[in-house]
Formats: sequence, C-alpha cells, structure tokens
Amino acid sequence: MSCCVSPHEQRLLDKIEGKEDIYRASHPRVFKILETFDGLRPIIDVERARYFTQSMMETEGEMLCLRWAKALKHIAENITVYIDEDNLVCGRGGVKGRYGLLYPELDGDFLDIAIKDLPNRTESPFSISKEDARIVVEEIAPYWKGKTYHEALNAAFPEEVHKLSYDDPEGLTSRFIVNETSSFRSSIQWVHDYEKILKRGFGGIKKEALEKIEALDPLSPIDNVEKKPFLQAIVIVCDAIITWARRHAVLAREEAEKETDPVRKAELLKMADVCERVPEHPARNFHEAVQSQWFTQMFSRMEQKTGTIVSNGRMDQYLYPYYKADVEAGILDEDQALELLECLWVGMAQFIDLYVSPTGGAFNEGYAHWEAVTIGGQTPEGRDATNELTYLFLKSKREFPLHYPDLAARIHSRSPERYVADVAETIKDGSGFPKLINDEEVVPLYVSKGATFEEAYDYAVSGCTEARMPNRDTYTSGGAYINFVAALEMVLHNGKMLKHGDEQLGLETGNPCEFKTWDAFWTAYQQQHKLFLKTAFHQQYVINNLRAKHFAQPMGSAMHDLCMKHCLDLHTPQIPEGINLGYFEHMGFGTLVDSLSAIKKLVFEEEKLTLAEIIEACDGNFEGKEDVRQLLMTAPCYGNDDPYADEIARQVDELNVLFGQKYSKELGMHNDIRYVPFTSHVPFGKVVGATPNGRFAWTALSDGSSASHGADKTGPTSVLLSNCNSKNYGHRDRAARMLNIKFTPKCLEGEEGTEKMVAFIRTFCDLKLWHVQFNVINKSTLLAAQKDPEKYRNLIVRIAGYSAYFVDLSPDLQNDLIARTGHDSI
Amino acid sequence: MTNKEIQNTTGTVFNIQKYSVHDGPGIRTVVFLKGCPLSCMWCSNPESQSFKPQLAYNSNKCISLAECVRCAEVCTAGALIQGEGDKIHVNWDTCTNCLCCADSCPSGALITYGDKQAVRDVIDQVEKDAAFYARSGGGMTLGGGEPLAQPEFALALLKEAKRRYIKTAVETCGHVSTEALLEACKYLNMMMFDIKSMDSEKHKEFTQVGNERILENLKAVRQAFPKLHIRVRTPVIPGFNDTTEDIQAIVDFLKAYDVEYELLPYHRLGTQKYTNLGLGYPLGDTSLENDAFLPLLEIAGQIGFSK
Repeated sequence: MSCCVSPHEQRLLDKIEGKEDIYRASHPRVFKILETFDGLRPIIDVERARYFTQSMMETEGEMLCLRWAKALKHIAENITVYIDEDNLVCGRGGVKGRYGLLYPELDGDFLDIAIKDLPNRTESPFSISKEDARIVVEEIAPYWKGKTYHEALNAAFPEEVHKLSYDDPEGLTSRFIVNETSSFRSSIQWVHDYEKILKRGFGGIKKEALEKIEALDPLSPIDNVEKKPFLQAIVIVCDAIITWARRHAVLAREEAEKETDPVRKAELLKMADVCERVPEHPARNFHEAVQSQWFTQMFSRMEQKTGTIVSNGRMDQYLYPYYKADVEAGILDEDQALELLECLWVGMAQFIDLYVSPTGGAFNEGYAHWEAVTIGGQTPEGRDATNELTYLFLKSKREFPLHYPDLAARIHSRSPERYVADVAETIKDGSGFPKLINDEEVVPLYVSKGATFEEAYDYAVSGCTEARMPNRDTYTSGGAYINFVAALEMVLHNGKMLKHGDEQLGLETGNPCEFKTWDAFWTAYQQQHKLFLKTAFHQQYVINNLRAKHFAQPMGSAMHDLCMKHCLDLHTPQIPEGINLGYFEHMGFGTLVDSLSAIKKLVFEEEKLTLAEIIEACDGNFEGKEDVRQLLMTAPCYGNDDPYADEIARQVDELNVLFGQKYSKELGMHNDIRYVPFTSHVPFGKVVGATPNGRFAWTALSDGSSASHGADKTGPTSVLLSNCNSKNYGHRDRAARMLNIKFTPKCLEGEEGTEKMVAFIRTFCDLKLWHVQFNVINKSTLLAAQKDPEKYRNLIVRIAGYSAYFVDLSPDLQNDLIARTGHDSI
Repeated sequence: MTNKEIQNTTGTVFNIQKYSVHDGPGIRTVVFLKGCPLSCMWCSNPESQSFKPQLAYNSNKCISLAECVRCAEVCTAGALIQGEGDKIHVNWDTCTNCLCCADSCPSGALITYGDKQAVRDVIDQVEKDAAFYARSGGGMTLGGGEPLAQPEFALALLKEAKRRYIKTAVETCGHVSTEALLEACKYLNMMMFDIKSMDSEKHKEFTQVGNERILENLKAVRQAFPKLHIRVRTPVIPGFNDTTEDIQAIVDFLKAYDVEYELLPYHRLGTQKYTNLGLGYPLGDTSLENDAFLPLLEIAGQIGFSK
C-alpha cells in the first residue's frame, strides 16, 4: 500500500511540485554552490593545454619526466587560480561552472577537427568559446601533429592488428572489434597514496629527492643520466604544486581584503592560512587534510589524463586520525566535517573528464567519472576498518545525493552488521550508491599475484570496479576491449561481418551450415575468439613498448614508493618489485553466451532450427521471422542459475583465462580477463548485426558480466549464482567483473526490505563475486524522465561503476537502462 | 517411505518462484502446488484452482498469424481461430486442453499452467538458493492453490527439504485434512494460515466452503504444536470482510491462540490471468481504499503483529 518510490524518486517529485529539498536547510552552503553549476553544459578550458604545450616546445630533447615536471611548473605559475564563492576548499583547473581540460599530448593531432564537433556530439557534448577554439587550432594543435602517442601507435600496429582495431588508416575511428583504449587516456584509473602527502607533505618528498641527489655516485652513468634528472623532476614538481597552492593563499587574502561580510572574510583568511601550509607541510587538522588531498588530486588531474579521473582512495582511513583528533579537541563536529567534505564533492562535480575522441566519448557517456571514495573494508592488519567517518560518508550520500564523488563500499566476511545495514539503506535511497567491492575475492587474488597480505588488505577501489595498491601497482595502460559477439558473427559468416560486407576480417572457419555437431561449431568459435585474443595481446605488446616514450608523470611517481626507490617514472614498462595488473575486456558476455546456448540447444540438440535458418533470420534482423526470434529466446540464458547456459559461460571465460595465463608473461604483466564495459556496450553493439539470442541488429550488447536485457527471469539470486558459476575460481588470471542489478523500490520496502538487502549483500560476499551495484528505481520514473527531461534533470542513475544524470545520456543508453530487468517480488 | 520413495513422489506444480521476500522470513523460494478446495472470488492465482495442468493464452505475446501459425497447425480440435489484430483466438468451448499448442508456441503466448514434477527435481531447484537462505533465515515456502490438497506430495517436499536442512513454511487455507495438516507440522518451521471470515455463511458465499473445518484445524494445530510459529493472515476483500466488525471478530477469536496476525490488502494483479484462462473475473470492479484499510490495521495491531 505504501512505498512505491525510492527516497531519490520522492525528492524528484517534490522538486517537480516546487517543494524545497528536505535536506537543503541542513546543508545550506553546498546546495547553494550546487545551484551555481547544476545542469550547465561543460565548457572546455584551454589553459592547461596551452601552458603545457608552451613548455614542451621549450624542452625538446630532455628526459621526458623532467620535461613534464617543467611543464607542470609552467602551468602552476601561470594558470588562473580561483576561489569559489561560498566554498571552503579551493583548487580548480578551469573556469567557473562545469569544465573540462584538454590533453593535447594524447589527441593533439586531431584536436582541431574535434573541437568543431564537440558542441554537437550526442554523447557528452562540451562548449568552447571562439577565442579558445582559436587558441586550440592555431597555438596548440599544430605543435602536436606528428608527435602524439596516438599517431605513433597507429603507425606501429601491424596490418592484421590495425584491421581489427581501426576503421580508417589514420586510426581516428574505432572498429569496435578489438578496441585499444590506451590512446584516449594517459593512465588507467588510478589511486595515489594521499596519506603520504598528509603525513609528509610535498616538502617532505622534495627533501627526500634532494637527499637522494646528494647520495648519487658522481661517476655512475645510470645515476647521472637516468636517476638525477628523474629526481630533479621530482623536486620541480613538488615546487610546482607548492607554488600553485600558495597562489591560492595570495588570492584568498586579496578576496578577504575586499570582503564586507565578516563571516566570509574570516573563512577566506582561514583558507589563506591553510593554503600556505598544505600540501607543502604535513596536515595538522581535518581542514588542512581535506585541502591538501584536494590540491594533490586536482594537480594530478592537470598532470595527465587519468582515465575517468584519479580516485580518492580510502578516505575514511587516511582522514580519520585528523577527524578524531579535531573532534576530541573540540574544534570540529560532525556537521562541520560533513560540510568540508561536501565542499570537496561540489569541487569534484565541476571537473568533467573530457574525452575528445569520439571513441572515448562513446566509452564514457554521461560525463563518466570514477573518483571513487573507498569506505569500509579491512586494515592492513586484516581487522575491520569501519569507523565514524565511514558512516559519515554514507550519510552524506543519502542527504546530499550529488553523483559526485563515486562511492565504493568494501565488504568482507566480518563487516559489521551496522555497516552493511547502513550500506543497504543508502542503496535503497535510489541514486545508485554505493557500489560494492568484495574483499573476499580481491584480497586472495592480489596475494596470489604477488602482493603481501598487508598491501592486499589495504587496497583502494579505483575507477569503475578495480582495486589498486597505491605503492605496489605499476601498470598504467588501458587494455583492449574485445567484441566477442563479433567473433560469433564471424563464425556465422565465415570470417566476415554484416557491417563490413565482403572484407575478410576474421578467419575462414568454413561454411557454418556444414557444421554437423556442436563440437565443430564450438571449435570454429574458439578459433575466431583466439584470433581476437591474439590481436589484443599483440596490441598490448606494442602499447607497452611505446607508452613510456610519450607519457611521464613526475607527480604520480613522487607519491609512489617504488618509483622513488628505483628512480623511475611510473609509466616505465617494468619497475622492479612492481606488480603489473592489466586487463583485457570481454564485451557482450551475456549476449554471446545466450547466442551460443541457443545454437547448441535448438540446432544441435533439439533440431528445431537449422543454422541456415538462424543466419537468414539474423541477417534480415528477424524481419518477418519473429517466430524464429521467439524460439531462439526459449533457449537457456545466462543469469538464471541454469547449468546449461552457465557452463557455456564458464567455458568462454576459461578461453580468456587460459590465454591470459599463457601469454601474459611475454607482456611482462598480468593481462587478465575483465568484464567492465563502462558505457561501451552501446557502441560495440552498433557494429554487430542481429544475434541468435534474439537481440536486434545494432542494439546494445549485454553489459559487464550482467545478463542480457530481460534474459534474467528467475530473480536476482539467480543472477548472482550464474555469475559465480561462470567463473574459473581455480585460476588466478582474472580481474574485475561488473554486475548490475535493478530492483524496484517496492521490493526493498521497510525494515524488512533492508534486512533482506543485507542478506543479499552478505551472500554476494560469500559467493566471492567481485562487484555488484544496484539501481533501485521504478521503470515508470525512467520513462517519465525520457519523456520530460527538463523536469527530471536531477534524476541520478547507476550506469557502469558510476552514477550519472539520466538526462545526460544518449537515447541509446537510456533505452539500455530501461531494458534491464527490474527485480520485483510476488 | 524410504528417502528414494520420497524423492520420487510426484505432484503438480505450477510455478517455482525464487527471491520471494513476502512469504515468510528471509529470502525464500515459493513452490506453488496446483489445485485448491476453495474457489475464492478474489483469487489472484486462478490458474492454481484446478488440479490439472491447463492451457492459458496471453494475446499480448502472440506474434501474429502472418509470421507464425505453428499452434493452429497442431490443434486438432479446431479451437484456435483467427482473432483480433491478426492474432490467435482460443475458443475455450471447443478446446480439449490437450496442450499440444503450448508446446509449439515459440513466444510463450500459449502456455501450460502446471506440470508433474518429482520431489527430487523440485527440491534441487529450491536448494540452489541455499546460500541466500543461510544468510537471510529464509527457505522454502509451499504455496498454491492449497499445497496440502496434494498431501502426499506436499509432505514429501517438506521431508526432503528438512533432510537437506532447508527451512520450511507453508501457506494454507486451512480447509484440508486434519491428519495431513498435523503430519505436515512435524516438518515445518512456520505456518501461514488464512482465516478469511468468522461468518461461515458469508465464507461459503465467497469461497464455496464454510469456515468450520478451518477454525477446527487451527485449534488442532495449536494444541498439538504449541510452539509452532504460526502467522494467521486475512486477505481484506471489499464487500466481504473489510469492515471493522469482520476483522474484530477474527482478532477476538485469535486472542485465545498464540499467533502472529497479518492483513493482506486486496489487489487486482491477477485479473489478466482470468482473461488468459478464458474466465471472467468474479469479483468485478472493486477496490480497497486506504481509508477503509487503515482502521483495520489498528485492530489487527491488538494482537501484536500488524503490517
């Protein structure tokens, strides 16, 4: 009778009716700041790119890491600094409002063309002023032509690799078959050791670097040619961020001078004091710690393009000592701490991770961002790590449900009941937070890959669903995204694809209609599958050798124990003692498994259809063949805890696992299978015709390790069990797996609903699944928002390891979300 | 009976519903047994009433005769004819319920409700979610229809579940053999027992049976199993038992027993299924308003458990 909408939906309805948000009064400052930029189209700010380019022009020939440090110093000294009205924390990389930065070192070769398209793009559009567009076209882009990583990579791929990677000779458009992703970001999602900065400050790191320079052997070639410039770069980059911070102190004092409101004046003077202190010196209190962290991550965002933004790490752990001490000293209470953190959140919300390339844009729709704040989990000693701050983060998400920052809750077998219940309550709120990462899967896996227990227990969630050990991880490249549904299409067309006509893309595995047995078909599939794997691994080999020639990150290296120890930039392919955790991506897992299942069952076992009939129906996009389509859909599907489909899923997973196991060594890394598509299952679907699971041509593939749209019919418990069944637990060669589940609010109603959600989460933990996230929403709300986007501007939905405004998504992705099965109960 | 005999016992099941969160504690799987001694006018599972497998037709799922005539090709009784919108129409008068058409239908427009299943296979399905039962205190619920109207099968299911350490519950209308009911209680963690009205005549008018046996059975169960967790439930149906007097009478009766009590508000979710079975909806157009329901909740609260 009651509760048919989530609290998030209720607040949207309130807003439509013109009611004030129920939490506005208790969070006045941040709501006010939010209103200054909420819903604005992001603007491109060119300053970072301009100063970076200016400096790089001056330093050609020097060691790359040193050049990068000098460029950052040039940026720090010249870029406009801002103090946001009302905010207590400062540090932004661009103009007021929502803004994005340019990284011409990545895509300078086609930046001038792209800049014309960006405002009109369907997926994640950006605006740029006329003057700034001129700067890009005349000052920035010309320098980078012929120098970018992207061009070098395009030239370096062997022909057979290029053929499955790009649509055009210049490598500007992806084929979405075996898609490299190393060229639209300098680093994959990453986490810094913020605790180090809070404890030692960049002043401390600078001192360490200077001492190391002193201790170098003055006669050693390595010490002088390799290590010395690296350490000099560290010194310069430490100076750069300190300079940048102090410029904020100066500005804050100027503003204070002009300020007439005594309250704001005092705030500005306090901010000036804080910015003079951190991040150079250790933080002494909670405010300094928050500001120091923010300067660090914000400057890191200017250093390089970390894929969908550098993460926040274990915030409830490294901020806790400052919080506790301040509370005990009586200089901070819960509300003040919350306000400071939320000042940080609105800062994060204004930085938009801009993807210039169309491929990058399609990968990360809705202005994707994964600045994951990790909460909960275990201490390095393996004890439960939950503390008062943990609960404060959850509270903030319920009361100020901005979709920044991304919140990730670590779950382990002894997570306290209060914590899991609070997590469940927050999920029920309905804005998609937090996502859950499972210690019981991540920790043993990382130990098996060479980490110590201490390091593994201390992992931080990074990006979408990944986990990082900030002082042990050393692999920074994006991996291949592989469209295995295209591999199936190639089996059905003897190595060709519908979209590409007569072009022989894959192997000639023979006329499919002549396969007499399932084994024959499966063998052909494996051949195409392995061709894709081979292509992906060849890509990665080239990538690994090429990247360090184009990317450096002195600041990231300054914060990394192993880089400092060995005097090597973090982008160096092999860093002694480092663990290289890379991945390749399986696209369309559910789509593929269900299609294979349909062929196996209906063609080779029940003989209700022939392969020729299926191919004809698929090629014609089931036009006039709805009966064939419906029949295909009666086959067992992944996501129903059905051993028939799940065993096929496990065998497919095994192909990936064993290939990685065999050939990763040659790449000097763990190149392991991952199931995390961001939003790319939509563009990957656009290159594949209709499939034997009844999916129509050019529509989205299934996402991550989730079931195909609507194929999971036996409820959410089965979805988890299928996920478990399809894993090869006997091998370590696997990385993250993303799993989306959609519930209706009704299903989680009341205290009983919370208890059942807790039990569901506990079982997820028992099953040793990697990740799960929830949308708790009514389908009617999504449909209403699609119809009337203006009214539903604030509707937040869970996409793929991040939450975004529903109205910011392309129609394709909106439909994809609507089509996901919503679990109710009878 | 030996374990093997128990496992081989068969009965008619029309649905196995996983992740059921409103039919007893925790996360549960409900096994719906087909056939019921009552014919309640508001029944939301009309497909559960007959003991036999039966055909149902959902025209929304029918593809269109232009693309598919598989069903008509197998129908020997000539019961499938062209209907509106180029879709099949079932002539229920001529249909012999041979069920061949359901086997041939690719889209699930024509389906069979109910099939014979062995205890082993049913419990295998139920046991799949054991990891969730362990964490939530859930388990298996037998529902229906009236599960104890297939007493041998229901008992075998309960015994086999117990043997595999699966917690059990049953949802019963109470109008069953006392012997079977008491035997079932030996293997139950919880019983959900419907009492629909204290007025036997009205009971008969709306359900086709009086309430005497039902009330006697509750008494018998409580006497023989004083500690069994019992939740009595009353579906609140407009025009039948939605007055405060109706509910007060039930509450007064229940005060002598140590039971939980829950009111289930009337809903119309089952109406489509009547159409699919070629039946009319007996209760017609009616609805339960909050104003009528909320005072009843308060009365129900007198015995400690309300919802």
